[in-house]
Parts: sequence; structure tokens; C-alpha cells
Amino acid sequence: MDFQVFLDIATVALRMLLPVYAVFIIYQCFASMRRHRRPEKPLVTLEIKHTGQKIPVLFWENSIGRSRGSDIVIADSTVSRDHCVLLRRAEGWFVSDIGSKSGTFINGKETLVREKVLIDDEITVGTTTMVLKRGDEYNERLRPSWFFSKASDKGSLQPYKLMILITLFHVFMAVEACFSNEVQDLTPLIVAGILETVMWIFFVISSYAFNRVNFELEALGLFLSGIGVMLLVRQELRSAFVQLIAMTIGLILFSFLVKFIENPDRVNSWRMAIMIGAIGLLGINIIFGRVQNGAANWINIGGISVQPSEFVKIAFIFVGAAALDRLQTKRNFIEFIIFSAVCVGALALMGDFGTALIFFATFLLIAFMRSGDFKTVILAVAAAVFAGIMVLKFKPYVANRFAAWGHVWENAQGSAYQQARTLTYTASGGLFGVGTGNGYMKYIFASESDLVFGLVAEELGVIIAFAIAIAIVALAFYSRAITTRSRSTFYSISACCAAGLMVIQTALNVFGATDILPLTGVTLPFISAGGSSIISCWGLLAFIKAADERTYAQKRIQRRAKEDER
Amino acid sequence: MKRIMQRSYLILIVSIAFFLGVCFLAFRVVTENSTWVQQPYNGHMSSSGGLAQAGSITDRDGTVLAYTDASGVRRYSDDYMTRLALLHVVGDNSLNISTAVQSTYRTELTNYSFIWGLGMPSSLKSSKSLTLTVDAAASTAAYEALGSKKGACVVYNYKTGELLCSTSNLSYDPENPPEITEENEEEYDGVYLDNAISSTFTPGSIFKIVTAASAIDHIPDIYDQTFYCDGEYEIEGSKITCEESHGELSFDEAFSHSCNVAFAQIAQQLGRENLTETAEKLGFNQALYLGDIPLTKSSFDVSKAGDNELAWAGIGQYEDLSNPMHMAILCASIASSGEAVKPYEIKDNESILKKIGLTQNGGNIKMLSVSTSDKVKDLMRNAANYYYNVRGLDLAGLDFCAKTGTAEIGKDKEPNAWFVGFTEDDEHPYAFAAVVAEGGYGISAAASVVQAAISALVYG
Repeated sequence: MDFQVFLDIATVALRMLLPVYAVFIIYQCFASMRRHRRPEKPLVTLEIKHTGQKIPVLFWENSIGRSRGSDIVIADSTVSRDHCVLLRRAEGWFVSDIGSKSGTFINGKETLVREKVLIDDEITVGTTTMVLKRGDEYNERLRPSWFFSKASDKGSLQPYKLMILITLFHVFMAVEACFSNEVQDLTPLIVAGILETVMWIFFVISSYAFNRVNFELEALGLFLSGIGVMLLVRQELRSAFVQLIAMTIGLILFSFLVKFIENPDRVNSWRMAIMIGAIGLLGINIIFGRVQNGAANWINIGGISVQPSEFVKIAFIFVGAAALDRLQTKRNFIEFIIFSAVCVGALALMGDFGTALIFFATFLLIAFMRSGDFKTVILAVAAAVFAGIMVLKFKPYVANRFAAWGHVWENAQGSAYQQARTLTYTASGGLFGVGTGNGYMKYIFASESDLVFGLVAEELGVIIAFAIAIAIVALAFYSRAITTRSRSTFYSISACCAAGLMVIQTALNVFGATDILPLTGVTLPFISAGGSSIISCWGLLAFIKAADERTYAQKRIQRRAKEDER
Repeated sequence: MKRIMQRSYLILIVSIAFFLGVCFLAFRVVTENSTWVQQPYNGHMSSSGGLAQAGSITDRDGTVLAYTDASGVRRYSDDYMTRLALLHVVGDNSLNISTAVQSTYRTELTNYSFIWGLGMPSSLKSSKSLTLTVDAAASTAAYEALGSKKGACVVYNYKTGELLCSTSNLSYDPENPPEITEENEEEYDGVYLDNAISSTFTPGSIFKIVTAASAIDHIPDIYDQTFYCDGEYEIEGSKITCEESHGELSFDEAFSHSCNVAFAQIAQQLGRENLTETAEKLGFNQALYLGDIPLTKSSFDVSKAGDNELAWAGIGQYEDLSNPMHMAILCASIASSGEAVKPYEIKDNESILKKIGLTQNGGNIKMLSVSTSDKVKDLMRNAANYYYNVRGLDLAGLDFCAKTGTAEIGKDKEPNAWFVGFTEDDEHPYAFAAVVAEGGYGISAAASVVQAAISALVYG
């Protein structure tokens, strides 16, 4: 057997290894999300004074009221349906009246604003008086949710081991790219070296400066972002470096945001400023916007192109979410609706209908999570369908995309040029891909952004392409599973909606490129090239990170873990 | 927070919807990948049209029709005429001839499988060779007999379904394909179409087979009727003519003399519904296949025809169109008691097509009842005897049943010539169809093409 054949077999073996490896990494990231959970025990207990009945208080924010959807249900006709909120903050427990008819009293004194309560204080709603007791006063067993039920059974991978796995994966991609068919040199390894340095610095800061035990969300983000960077090496080296720099900025933004939203009350005071800032950004975009591919969603600042709408996504989630006692106020909700309308309108004005669609779908998610009202959602959808018809009437190039939809092969050299290439090269890659840098998809316009699914499928294989799509869905599952484990509804709503936004964006990207939906030209989270896009993805990931109650309580968990060991 | 938890089911629904979409995409990838891959622009297939690693193609006797040489260049038959004769069957480096073996079975030839994709290093690639059922010599003989005229000839074994001869003109040399520009595109009009399976022509008198079959089924006393032909027949002010006045004719004689006047009357007796029913049973307006390759449908539509036009339709004019391969299948059904064996062109097709699970092969197409087909067979045998006795037509000494056709296609143009039928011989059971566009009279132009092909098959 000559040397070339030996080399070829090694190349193919490496190619086959990567998908297995990627699936393993993604699995490990999600498996460790279930680790280090606080046991299912009540935080405090409420004892109803005249009956002696004990009610466990399970969440950081609890609605008290007569309606059955309340976290703490009081069967008393003098109590309002949504009466007050009992919430926990770093400073202790608080009670906040949310517009009840008969008022809320602490030790006999009526509360008008959020007021602190201490253990053994009496809280009176209607004719019912409850006494705040410690959590261990409640001694019945609670049924844990499925997500956490077997969390402690199997120890999952240590974060640093996960990091080593991810590093190796990126290095393997670099090795493949070094031996690519067209160019053979060591630049991919240099890029990988820089990438891994950035990743490990971030890891070290996270675990030692911020004392965070958990790193799985960041690990997943780094894994995906790294794939995006490595795919660019053989396509356009300059873009790979731009992507690396943008990723670094994204990591800084992530760390900043996690810190910034640590206190859900302080966040509220910034709300108006963020709203005005976001609208201002869109305004600047409309005035100074540069038209690119039919949409004026770019602005040029000192030679750097920026897509402001990507950053507005973060503001959008931020404005949409709120703590439980503020969630109920009408003003807060109306402000959000107006803000959404302005955002979607501005994007439509720029001609960026893909992003407008993402904003609109996210608006529906947030609106429903806040109000639980299907009527609002249906009304909004009806309005959107109407708006959509108007768009098709006045912007004919959008209608052209619809015309090609489902007729790819008839229009393979015309209006469905991009989709046809995506499908062809997806099938050309097979299960294991043709190897990093060996694809032909990379010569197709927008293959690194809108059509990146085809690029991934061709070079890394269909298994990895699908695994990435599934990983983003899993992010939504995870965000949903931790809803009641968040420290505030601000986090649970923002996390669910940030994940929802990413799922919708992924759907538009993947299905648009593969002709299941019309091509709208949006990016694939974390993978697609584009500085603004990746920065915004890390920003959105910060919301999910913040929703995890472990994020801000690491020292305590570490201490507890050490005590358990002893 | 419980309420928020409940409402977050919406996000779960969105995620599940997305997940289902991913499943649908995966399904499409698995089922449609070979279509997606086989695109002319696919960079992974660029050298020699992606055939650099393709296996060879041989005819039924092992004559090489296409192969890839040591330097990765795709080469075709050594014989110039064979290359031209089988261009549309074998194909060239491009995918322009979409029905050719090198287009339709490209993924098999290159051994593409979705599992490995197209990125395999060449040292680890294997290729698959295909053996065709066609006989290169017979196809070349038929092609030479066609001369410079546009047309096609197919012969297939009606007992086994093997396609033995298939040729189509206009053709070109696959070793040296023409560059078609705006200036010469008229000259090369339709060159990428395999006339044997992808074109339809006005059938003319060969359609009388259909009209006769319909009459046998629907007119009980057809054999007792006599027709009088004085050379022309007027319906609604329009004349249907014969070349000569045939005088008084029985049904049988009307068929063998191919009397337009008689058959126009029979078509009128039958009416639109009966004639359409028989035509559709016999494969008009129906999807038929050569192996996996769909034939262009023959068409018969008299739904908007007046009485006069119905009469014209009954003698194969009006808007009637026939596909040559379909005509051979129709003749095969008459040869074998109403049921035609489906034709195919890949010899080891059992294994290869079953493996990819796409086969249309196997089984028969029921077209006529046994008694009707036997009666039609008698009519065609008489017609053949008439040609043999009167015109001296001989098909390698074999007994045969046949029908000629001469289809008028316009005032300034020569008519299309047809010759369809089958041999009655256990050793050489051939169903055939030949069409020569603007070839003149069927018996002289088209029959000689079939004659050449069958001689090559029998003596060759």
C-alpha cells in the first residue's frame, strides 16, 4: 500500500470521527446543564394562621391570589384573583401588592410599594393571614420535574474536560483544512491556535474571576462559534479573523450582560433608556443605511459595517421581559407593544423582511408569555398576514423569492440559484462531509451566512449540520425547563424568548436555504459569518445564562459541594 | 411563575414544529439526494462531467460503448457510426440528454452513495460498470438506414422486455460535441431529445390499429359490414381521401389496404367515448416507462373535436401524437395476447435497480383482451402479407405482423413515415417501431430501417 492511500484512509477516518465527536460534545453540554441543581425543597413556608395549613413556597417569585393559576392559591372570596407577589431578592423576602381590591397587610400595616418581610411576619390578604416560616418547616416530599429528576445519578463531564474536547474538535478541523485539496499550508492551525487561546482565557476568567462552576452554555456557544470561524479559514481568511474578533467582543458582551442583569430590579430602571437607544439605532440605520441585496440594514462606521438590527434583538428581549410584580401592570405591556411595532415597522422600512419576521415571531412569544392571551396572538397574526400581503404588493423582489419557492430545479440558473446550490452540495457532502476547505459551496454568494447550512453539510457532513440545528432546539428545551428555577420572571421570560428567537432564526435560515420555506436571508446563530450576528448571539445567550439560578450563586454551591464531600 | 411555565409551552410547540421540519428535511435528503447531486454545475463532478471515476458501459455482447481511460478522460465507442447511433442511449459527458444512461444512472456509474458523498479520495473510490440490453450493431444498422433524416427506431424482445435496438437522429459525436450557439441552434434543434422515447409524432395510418381494436370491442357486426371507397369521403364539407379508390371492402380488407374512407366511417360509428376509451387502454395519455425512464406521453384528445375532426383522429391525423417506444409496446401487447412486457435497457437491472428501490420494471401492461388482440393480430398479419406479396417486404425471412403509416404534417412537407409491428418467431420475438420524419411513404422509408435492424439482429 503506497503512502497516498494510507494518507487518504487517515483523512476519511478523521472525517468520520468528527460527526461522532460533535454529537458527543453537544450531548455532554446538555447533560451537564442538569448538574449542580439545588434539591427540590421549599425556599420558605407560608402557614395559614387559623387553619395551620402549610404551603411550600417553591419559587423566587410567587403570585398569591384566588385564581387557580397562582403559585399560591388562597381559597378566600375576599382575596383578588391576582392579589400580591411574594418575591425573593438578595436582600431578603418582599411582598408587593399588584392592585388588589382589599389590599395587602404586613403585621397589620397596609403595603403600597414593595415591602420587606421577615421570618414570622404576618401577611394578610383579604380575611386570610399567613405567617412566613423557614423552608425546612415543610416536611412533605415534593415531586421533582423530569428534567432534574435523575440529575444527580450520573456525574457528567468536568467543564475543563469539555473544553479540551472542543479544542480538539477545532484542531481536527484545522488539520483537515491544512490538507485541503486546493491549498496546503498551516494557516488553519494558526487561526485555531488564536481561537483556542481566546476560548481558554474566557474559560479561566469565568471560573476564577467570576467563580462560576458551570460552563456548559458557554461551551456550547464556543463550540459552535469555533466551527463558524474554522469554516471561514479556507473561504476567506480575512473574514475568519473578523469573525474571531467579533466572537471575542461577543464574549465580553456576554460577561457584561450577565453581570448587568444580575439584579432584576436595577434592570428595570434602564428599560426606558434601552428602548430609546434601540429606536435611535434603528433611526440612524434608516437615515444612513447602506443598501445591500435589496435591504438597507447596514451602516458603515469608520470602515466597519454594522447591522444595528442585530443589537436591537438584545434590547427587544430586554424590554419584553419583566419581574412578576411589574408584569401585571398595563403600562409596562403597552410600552412593549409600541416598541415592538416601531422595531418591526423600521425593519420593514429598511426592506429587511427576514429580520422583521424574526422580531414579529419573538413579539408573539413574549406577548403570550406575559399575558397568556391567545386572542392577542391571533389578532397580531391576522395583522401580520395583512401586512405581508401589502409587502408582496409593493416589494416585488420579495414576491420573486416566493415564486422560486418549491420550484428549485426549474429555476436552478435563475431565481433559485442559491437554493439549488445548497441542496446539491448538501447531498454531495454525504453523512461525513468532504472535509473542511474541500467544498465548492464556499464559492457561492452568501454561502458563509444565509446558506451556511449547505456549507456545513458539504464540508462537515449532514450529521453535524443536523446536530447543530438540534443543539439550538435543545437550548429552547433547556430554557423552558429552568423557567420556574429562575430568580425572576424577568429571566425566565427573557431566556425562553431568546432561545425561541434563535430557534425561529435557525428555522428561517435552514429551511430557507433548503427550499422548505422561502429564502429570507437570515443568519444561522453562532455559525454564520457576520460580526454583528455573532455578537448578538452571545448577547442572547447571556439571558439564558442569567436565567439559570446557579449562575449567581456559585460560591454557595461550591461551599455546599465541599461540605457534602466532607 | 407557574403560569409563565405553562405559557412557555408555546416555545415548546415552536421547537417541536422546528424539529418536525428538520425531520422532513432529513427525509428529503435521504430520498432525493441523487437528484440533488446530479446537477451540471456540481463542482465535485466537473472533470469529464463527473465521469472521471465512472465505470464502463457495454452492449449486450460486451462491445464497449463508453469507458474512462487511465488519465480520467471519458471515451466512447471506437466506431464513429456506433457513437452517433447510440448517442441518445449512452449519453455524453454533459447531462444535456437527460434520458441517456450516463445521465439517469450517473450516480450508479460513479458509485455515488449518500453515505460517502462525493468527497471520497480517488484512491478509495470504486466504480460500477453497466451492461445494456441493446445490440450496438443493430442500432448502428438502423441509424445508417435512417440516413440524414430525423427519426427513430426501436426494437425490443416482447418476451423478455430487453431493448435490442434504439437509435435516434439528429445525433452528434459524443467525442466531439458541437457547441450550440445562437447561430446554429436551428440546425441542432431537438438534438438532445431521444426521438425514440422523448418525442411524439403524428401517427397517421398506424393509428388504425387502435381504431380497429376499438371497432372489434364496440361494434358487434363490424366483420359483417362492407365499406365502399371511391377515393374520397365528405363530412361537413371537408374531404377525407385515399390515394386510390379501393371499391367495396370488408373490415379486414379496409385494414390491409389502409383505407382512410372506411376507417373515417368506423371512427364515426365508434364515437368520441369509445375511441378514447380504447386509445387510453392502449397507452395513449398514459405514463409509460423504459426501465425507470418515463416516456413522453402519446396523446389522443377528441373532447373538442367535431364530427369531421373525429374522423381525422380515427385515421391518426387531427391532434393525435405517438411516441415510438410506446408504439413498440402497443405492438408487443398484440403479439402476446393483450399484455405487453415492460421494456428495459440495463441488462443487470434486477440487482441494480432493486437495490436503489426505484424500479418501474417488471410485470406486464394489460392493454387488450385476448380475443381482441388475436383479432387485431390477424388484421396485422394480413396487412403484412399484403406488403410482402405486393411490395416484396422481407424481415430476415421471419413471419411478421405490421402496419405502415404515412402521416400528413403540413402542405409543404413530406409526410412522416411509420412502420410498426412484431415478428412471429419464438427465437426472434421482436416488437418494433420506426418513424422517419418527412420520410415519404411508410413502406419505403420506415420499413427499410426496421429491416436493417432486424437483419443485424438475426444474422449479426
